[in-house]
Amino acid sequence: MYEYNYISSKQYDNRLFGNVDKVALGLYIAIVLLGLLFITSASYDPNAESFFSLSHNYMKQAMWLGVSGVVATIVLLLDRRLFHMFATPAYIVGIGLLVAALLFGREVNGAKAWFEFGGFRVQPVEFAKIATALMMARVMSDYSFNINRPIDLIKIGAVIMLPFSIIVLQNDTGSGLVLAAFLFVFIREGLSKYIYFPIIFTIVLFITSLIFTPLTIFTALLVLFTLYSLLRHGSLAGHVQFLCMVLLGALLLSLLTSLDGYVALMIVMSVAVIILLYFVFKTHTLSLLWPIVMFVYAMIFVPASDFLFSKLEPHQQNRIHTFVGVVDDPQNLGYNVRQSEIAIGSGGIFGKGFLEGTQNRYNFVPEKHTDFIFSVVGEEWGFMGAMTVIVLYIALILRLMRMGERIKEPFGRVYCYSVAAMLLLHVCVNIGMTIGVMPVMGIPLPLMSYGGSSLLAFTILIMIAIRLDASTSDNDGLSL
Amino acid sequence: MGNSAKLRYNVLRIVVIGVGVVLLGRLLWMQFNAEEYREMARGNSIKEIVEYPMRGEILDRNGEYIVKSRVCYDVMVVYNELPDEGFDTTRLISILDISREKLDRELRKASDNRSAQTLIVGYLTQDNKLRLDEQNIPGIYTRFRTAREYPRKVGGNLLGYVSEVKEEDIKADSYYTAGDYKGSNGLESAYEELLRGKKGVSYYITNSHHANLGAYNNGNNDIPPQRGLTLTSTIDIRLQEFAEDLMEGKVGSIVAIEPATGEILAMVSSPSYNPDLLVGRQRGNNYMEMFHDQRQPLFNRSAKAKYPPGSTFKLVQGLIALEEGVLSPSTKYPCHEGYRYGGRTMKCHAHSSPLDLRDAVAHSCNAYFCYVFKDMITNSKYGSVKEGVRVWNDYVYSFGFGRQLGTDLYGEGEGYVPTPEFYDSRYNGRWNWGTVLSCSIGQGEMGCTPLQMANLAAIIANRGYYYTPHLIKAIEGRDSIDRRFYERHYTMVDSVNFVPIVEGMWRSVNVSGTSRGAYLEGWDVCGKTGTAQSSSKTPDHSTFLSFAPKNNPKIAISVYVEYGGFGSTIAVPIASLIEEMYLTDTITRPHLIERVKNFKPNYGYYDRKQRNYDAKRNKQ
Repeated sequence: MYEYNYISSKQYDNRLFGNVDKVALGLYIAIVLLGLLFITSASYDPNAESFFSLSHNYMKQAMWLGVSGVVATIVLLLDRRLFHMFATPAYIVGIGLLVAALLFGREVNGAKAWFEFGGFRVQPVEFAKIATALMMARVMSDYSFNINRPIDLIKIGAVIMLPFSIIVLQNDTGSGLVLAAFLFVFIREGLSKYIYFPIIFTIVLFITSLIFTPLTIFTALLVLFTLYSLLRHGSLAGHVQFLCMVLLGALLLSLLTSLDGYVALMIVMSVAVIILLYFVFKTHTLSLLWPIVMFVYAMIFVPASDFLFSKLEPHQQNRIHTFVGVVDDPQNLGYNVRQSEIAIGSGGIFGKGFLEGTQNRYNFVPEKHTDFIFSVVGEEWGFMGAMTVIVLYIALILRLMRMGERIKEPFGRVYCYSVAAMLLLHVCVNIGMTIGVMPVMGIPLPLMSYGGSSLLAFTILIMIAIRLDASTSDNDGLSL
Repeated sequence: MGNSAKLRYNVLRIVVIGVGVVLLGRLLWMQFNAEEYREMARGNSIKEIVEYPMRGEILDRNGEYIVKSRVCYDVMVVYNELPDEGFDTTRLISILDISREKLDRELRKASDNRSAQTLIVGYLTQDNKLRLDEQNIPGIYTRFRTAREYPRKVGGNLLGYVSEVKEEDIKADSYYTAGDYKGSNGLESAYEELLRGKKGVSYYITNSHHANLGAYNNGNNDIPPQRGLTLTSTIDIRLQEFAEDLMEGKVGSIVAIEPATGEILAMVSSPSYNPDLLVGRQRGNNYMEMFHDQRQPLFNRSAKAKYPPGSTFKLVQGLIALEEGVLSPSTKYPCHEGYRYGGRTMKCHAHSSPLDLRDAVAHSCNAYFCYVFKDMITNSKYGSVKEGVRVWNDYVYSFGFGRQLGTDLYGEGEGYVPTPEFYDSRYNGRWNWGTVLSCSIGQGEMGCTPLQMANLAAIIANRGYYYTPHLIKAIEGRDSIDRRFYERHYTMVDSVNFVPIVEGMWRSVNVSGTSRGAYLEGWDVCGKTGTAQSSSKTPDHSTFLSFAPKNNPKIAISVYVEYGGFGSTIAVPIASLIEEMYLTDTITRPHLIERVKNFKPNYGYYDRKQRNYDAKRNKQ
């Protein structure tokens, strides 16, 4: 079964710490220490009697950091084969913990996703991420695995959907959507563009159709489509002509018949599509067929999703609107984002100085030590600090991808990519949220936000990647 | 790694870097607007409190307080910030001294606009404010105010009151914001800009729970409030109190002026009211009660009422005729209880006949001044009666009648002087000297404010000029008051022509005449009574115009008592007592005070009006 197990483990265990990727480890330590620094700023209380009291959030976080250090060392000392061996049991335990939380857990902020042990709260979803990543690596590294084969697609779909549906039942959809990051892994593993492109396209259409009017969406699509065709076939004049004809035709039709602009555009585009299809088959320019199909799909999908959306109950509509950030929700997340933007914007290039942020010190940004920790960075260290943090994350993600590439066996590669993808999604959504370009989904900034579960889970995630990489790097001729 | 794998790796790397670039781009864009965000961050964490100044106080001419300011507080609530778990309302209503119903009502009102400060109750004393602070209820705030206090409790209409600004006030003057207070009526309004002082502002640091975390920048940016200026009034508050007391139960007005300066010594509009009634929590009720009173205690008669001047106006007629040369002091006219013209008679009372100008003034002969006025306006040098009236108009205006005098009082009335145009339109152009003859004795269409009449007394005392009457003589920190109060206004009559008129007024008091009751040993009082007809059904108005002493006059006074009867009946003793009080500081005739106080004019007119008004109100 372990066909790639041709290297004596002994050889590696002896030189273990010599083989760990020092760049990844360094980036990890830098981010974690920066996180502790800003949690300190966010929860610093000048009136507190003792700076080192364990009642302070930063002291709790420092303690978790210690725990993480110990766990990291243990992970690095483990035999890499254990991860392969225990992928399936870990997944089963992970799912079990999620179900247990759903049944016996504690409800926090409306999500029944927590366990409580004497003052400490643990969120099993964080560990489910590790389990799912290991399981995914396990499934996808199977000898007979072919990502574009339906049975295998169903397998990996099931690996994701099982934890996802439990997390949704816990009313913690935001955390569950993190599992969408695996799409990134699938693309690396060669998922056909005929599968992933429609998925991405559908997601984008769905979100944009809630934010923009159909007229805007179709005008944009039309321009993008023409641009694509122009890039493939040249002939600037012809494409401009086509675009102008469709748009002017729609305008004219709308003016003459006093039809809605959107309906007029749909009619004119339908005619244009028929003409185009005729052209495609006559001249055998089949490369255009694929975009035309996507376009027709959009023409059906957007009105259909609009129609379906209008059939939903108002509170459901509201929940979806809130989710994509169109309206403020009852928890007033819009206020949080506004205050966070003010904090970061007012930080300027160099920031207001450590512990000097007024938005931070006077508690204007809610959840500033957890989900909105980035606002403290932006306010107190300005653009320079924010840029440093973003660059550190991007570097760590790129490093993980590179480690994945240089691990020859697919288990390690899939695993490293999974970690990189989850980090990317967290960073993108969390930082995007604090600067107002992403909806509020309630997911933390990995390694920086206050919270033991998240810190420990991401530490384990990354350490396993480093461990897997260390096992193979020595005799891996591949250099990237 | 195969080619396609390498391609995918590179594309995904670009995606990762792209995410970083998008985030950094957005951060940079926010950077371009850093100033805007900083402004918002400051707005979040630095709050300003308006610091209200003490309102300026007013002293009388002898340095006694007329109007004082005392510290009090408005109690405000922000509904949103009230503790969710509730608070001790029993204690609160005991501190605020309000009923539970009132508190519930105000809290309900506050819940309409949950995040705004809403007034619960005003006029919290300083002690109770400290007790309230001890309770430390979140969402309950106090706002510094000053409330007015009136040691002598007199001068309601004269002083005006302080009330909350209306929307139009805020629009007209950006100094005000909703909930501010401003002077209404009287001196409070006329000197509002000096009395109100200047609001200050202080900045403090706050957190998301609106808690005050101490001064911003150690208070260096704060602007302290500037208290309002202290004004010194021309009023002699003891005289004012005495005069108001004499007018108790009567409707009418008293104005006393120092002729040499135009300073108003006392200004009574009766019925008056205790200005304290318009301060405090009962203010609204008290105001409405006075508002519905048909004797109109809120109406400042002394500056606004339009009364027929009656016989006191004969003085003006005599002066004009002398100046125009149609009369000489020695001219005598007969009077047999009236003046007959065109089948009509202008009645007069019994006195010796014929009389010269002095005695005509002293005895207030109606017939004499009918001759005088007819001779004046029908004089051939004017060409027509119309032109004669026009010349007469100009003279009358020069005495300050028919127009505002330009005092520093809010809402001064103009009175009325009939013009040829007025008669033309009323009589379709068909009128002659006989039509307007009633003007000769200050009846008919003539209307004067008591202030204008007192000013006439001052003009005669000065023998031909006046200073614009005013109520404020000094402003804290300023060398002078408005320059218009230092200007002499000459009438069109030469001072020489005042001599026989003054002589007649002196004789009226000191030798024989209608004003004998105003005699004061050693003070050479001069006076002229008036008995103004109001209508055939009601008693006449009693009026008296006087100054003393004859040379270097110190006080000029006009007393007007509505429906008081003959001038000598009530106006003369009131004026005389006030003159005595002012000149000698003592009262030698306490029986006269008794008489004045016991005198009750017949106010059937007002009583009927009140009954009708109440009946109408009750119906509605």
